[in-house]
Amino acid sequence: MSLVAVLLATVLLTLSPLEAALAQSRLDYPARAGGPGEPLVINGALDTPLIAPLLEDFHHRNPDLALRYNNLTTLAIYRDFLDDDVTPRPDVVLSSAMPWQYRLANDGHAQPLASEAARRWPAWARWRHELFAFTFEPVVIVYRRELAERFGAVTSHADLVDLLTGHRRALRGRVVTYDPATSGAGYTYAIEEARLSPRYWELVNALGGVDTVLAGTTRDMLEGLADGRYLIGYNLLGSYARDFVREHPELEIAVPDDYALVTQRLAFIPRDAPHPMAARRFLDYLLGEAGQRAISELTTLGAIHPALDGPGTANALRQRLGDALRPIRIGPGLLATLDRLKREALLTRWTREFQRGTIAADTRDETSP
Amino acid sequence: MKATDSLYRRLITWLLLPLLGLGALMLMQAYRSAHDAADRAFDRLLEAASLAIAEQVKWQDEQLWLDLPPAALEMLATDAEERVFYALYDNHGRFITGNADLPALPGGDDSLRFADTRWHDMTLRVGVRPARLDSWSQRERFEVRVAHTREGRDQLTWSLFTGSASRIALMALLAIAVVLLAIRIALAPLTRLRRAIRHRDPRTLAPLDLPLPRELAELRETLNELLARMRRVRANQERFIGDASHQLRTPLAGLSARAELALRQPEPAAWRSALETIQASSARTARLAVQLLSLTRLNNPEAAPAPSTLDLVAVARDATRDAFAACHRAGIALELDAPDTAIPLAGIDWQLEEALNNLIDNARRYGARHVTVRVQADPPRLQVEDDGPGIPAERRLLMLRPFHRGAETGDGSGLGLAIVDSIARGHGARLTLDDGRHGQGLCVTMTFQGDRA
Repeated sequence: MSLVAVLLATVLLTLSPLEAALAQSRLDYPARAGGPGEPLVINGALDTPLIAPLLEDFHHRNPDLALRYNNLTTLAIYRDFLDDDVTPRPDVVLSSAMPWQYRLANDGHAQPLASEAARRWPAWARWRHELFAFTFEPVVIVYRRELAERFGAVTSHADLVDLLTGHRRALRGRVVTYDPATSGAGYTYAIEEARLSPRYWELVNALGGVDTVLAGTTRDMLEGLADGRYLIGYNLLGSYARDFVREHPELEIAVPDDYALVTQRLAFIPRDAPHPMAARRFLDYLLGEAGQRAISELTTLGAIHPALDGPGTANALRQRLGDALRPIRIGPGLLATLDRLKREALLTRWTREFQRGTIAADTRDETSP
Repeated sequence: MKATDSLYRRLITWLLLPLLGLGALMLMQAYRSAHDAADRAFDRLLEAASLAIAEQVKWQDEQLWLDLPPAALEMLATDAEERVFYALYDNHGRFITGNADLPALPGGDDSLRFADTRWHDMTLRVGVRPARLDSWSQRERFEVRVAHTREGRDQLTWSLFTGSASRIALMALLAIAVVLLAIRIALAPLTRLRRAIRHRDPRTLAPLDLPLPRELAELRETLNELLARMRRVRANQERFIGDASHQLRTPLAGLSARAELALRQPEPAAWRSALETIQASSARTARLAVQLLSLTRLNNPEAAPAPSTLDLVAVARDATRDAFAACHRAGIALELDAPDTAIPLAGIDWQLEEALNNLIDNARRYGARHVTVRVQADPPRLQVEDDGPGIPAERRLLMLRPFHRGAETGDGSGLGLAIVDSIARGHGARLTLDDGRHGQGLCVTMTFQGDRA
């Protein structure tokens, strides 16, 4: 296990340090109706401004429960979970790092939930009644309006490749994406896209051709875009972007219509949860119509519940994009993502393709004038 | 015999118990084969996944290298959403990569091996594929180990098992129905026999005749033999009763006639003579009645008294003493010839005394002058010999039948030897009638079966 921990440290080191710094690290809701003193402990990798409306809604409905939300990085969640010395033990674990969450459940650390809501939950969004996806967040392209005005709108990966190869000089250093070597999310997207599309390496090559800046977090990319440092960002987390773009009208979001990765936050109740009854109530809320409605109306995370089809739901996105949406499958394939050699192999190829694009662009630049 | 003991129940028990045992065995066998079939089917997944992984292993940067295909792991999980584990080991058994440290399986060098193991409170099915990298410069052995939990296998096992279990249950039901029907059909003749016996007129002893299977036909023949014996016994009884009433009627008719004759005569002297005749005749009739009674008693097997140990010599001495006075009056010499030592025997003393009395009495009545009662040991034997007229050899057997008198003129009842015969039979003794010594008279001998005490 220590081997895995060291490996994870390198993977997750810079997944979201800035986000964590900006947000509070803990939220506390005392019991109002004289319930038990011990709070329900939720460990999550979800910024407090995003999750607070949800927790407030839940607390409003269940005033007898005291709640504590610990906002941690995905790595800290994983590491703390496997370290038995860290107390208090969490009752619910929420994280967007799908492979790590899957691995914990696969190793038997999650307990099954047999409630009505869990039974009705769509099969593609759960695993074994132990691991549940409760959000639906597409991975998007964000660009400044001036880019669309100059070069036309970008609505697909093919558009992006054309743009990057056709306007190399104008875009040099103005494109930003995740660094798969330092960001866990970026690495997950890279591995999934490499599986999804044979033209992915062409795109990496093109990204290398414009000296794309490699960033660690979605927030870094969004702020760079707002500053005007970047014209276009590729593979940003849609839920953060939607929130951010609302206050920055100069930015525009595009969900690619050829294929769009969808990442999901996964929740489970640990086998050794100190308050399993309260944890089940919370998970039932997250998966129930009330909680899902709160997710769609109060947050930008995207609700999954099949009965909901308003804005901010998976159904609404599906109606618009249809088959192009590619949720990352919750299955053993995720384990491959965590393989040490697999990671080295993918990053080696990624770097090679990226650098080959850079070199090719340099030689062309030298010969063309 | 217990009230619950029944042939039907025995048959059902001994047919259904083995049938149930057989059913249980078949169920166990069905479970095993369902389990094996499920394992065989799902082991193909382990085989395919380990092959897909092994094909991606290569030698790079002086070490084993694996570009893990996610599809290989996906194929290990079926609809049952099994937990999935994999690992790659080099030829020294060192862990290269994987998500779990899976155990090695003992076994052959190059064959794919499967086994169930416990791992962190889970039962895993592990497949181990030994393989070898063959490149120009490098020959490297390695091992791919893959595993998954058993949910899918258990589901398949269960569905296969319930399928065959329901077929077995159906067959068992059919078998039970057939067994019940067969028992009923097989036992039907027994019911017929029972009905035939129950519906018989209790007075009839006619043989049963109804068609029956062989085993019951034997029972029917045995019953018929018993009935035939009973018929013979009843014929004997009826004849005996007829003879007895005839024997009693004759003296009674004589008494009545003598009394009537006397009443017609006026003088008392005639009355006196008639009364004397009547007295003698009624005494004879009374003795006849006593003998009839004892013969009836002797012939009733249900009233047989238990034998006790007695001394044959003492019995003979008592009988001789009792008869001595009567013989002396009649001028007959009665002699006892017995050893000094006791001869023990199991028997009924009063019956033996009765037999001796009858024999001595017979000898006296039929004109003997000298009667010898003889007792011999080894074999125990009672003998009464006289010097009277004797019985011709051809008539001796007839003499044993009741009311068969040796000489028409005697005043015997004709029951004496019949009574002796019954007593001898009751004691399991052989009764023989021979000539007396010097070729005249009669010698009656009861030879006992030896010391049975």
